[in-house]
Amino acid sequence: MLRIDRAPWREMVEHAEAAYPNECVGVMLGLSLDEGKSVQTALRMENVNPGSQRERYELDSRDLLAADAEARRRGLDVIGIYHSHPDCDAYFSQTDLKNSCPWYSFVVLSVQQGRYHHANSWLPDADQTRADREDLILPEN
Amino acid sequence: MPKVLIPTPLRQYAGKLDAVEVEGATVGEALNKLTAQHPDLRRHLYNDEGKLRSFVNVYVNDEDIRYLQKDQTALGGGDVVSIVPSIAGGSAPWR
Repeated sequence: MLRIDRAPWREMVEHAEAAYPNECVGVMLGLSLDEGKSVQTALRMENVNPGSQRERYELDSRDLLAADAEARRRGLDVIGIYHSHPDCDAYFSQTDLKNSCPWYSFVVLSVQQGRYHHANSWLPDADQTRADREDLILPEN
Repeated sequence: MPKVLIPTPLRQYAGKLDAVEVEGATVGEALNKLTAQHPDLRRHLYNDEGKLRSFVNVYVNDEDIRYLQKDQTALGGGDVVSIVPSIAGGSAPWR
C-alpha cells in the first residue's frame, strides 16, 4: 500500500500538468513502514529522453543518485518514481515495464487535455515481465 | 575500506544496513564480498547468468563504472560505491 501526503501529491499533479503535453518524471521520498509506504516529499526530476518526450521519459541516474543522497540527508527513503501519461490512461505500458526496476513503486498520472485525470501505482517484477497494481491512497481533494 | 551504499528496498537483505564497508581492490571484488556477506542480496543485483541485472548501474563516488573500467574499476579506502537503477518508460508502445 502506498499513501501519498497532500503536499507531495499537489507537487506531483502540478508537475504533471506543467509538463503537458510532455511526460514528467520525479522521485518520491518518504518512509517504508510495516503498515505500508508513505510519501512525504516529491522531487521533480528532468526528463532527459533525447527524442520526443510526449510518450517517453528517462531519468538521469545521476539525478536519482542525488535524490538518494537527499533522502539520506533527510532521514527518508526513496519510495518510488512517478511519471505522467499525457492523454493516456495510467496503465503500466510495455515501455514502462521494460525499463523498470522492481525496487520501487511506480506511480503513473494520467493527464487529459492538460488536466490531471487519475493515477495508479505499479510494482514491476525483477524480470520486467509483469507489474502488479498497488493500493494507492491519495489525499481527498 | 570502500563503502557500498545500500538502496532502501535492498536493506532488508543486508541486515537492515544503509551502508556496508567491504574489502576489495575493484568494484567487482567489493560487490562479491558484499553479496558473500549478505547472500540474499545477490539475486536482486545479479541475474541467473551471474551478470548485473540490466537495470542496475554502479557508481564509484559520482562516476558510472560503465565509463570507467566496469567491474575492474579500482577502489581506494575512501571510495563510496552506489547502486543506482536505470529508470525510463512512457506511454509509447514498446519497440
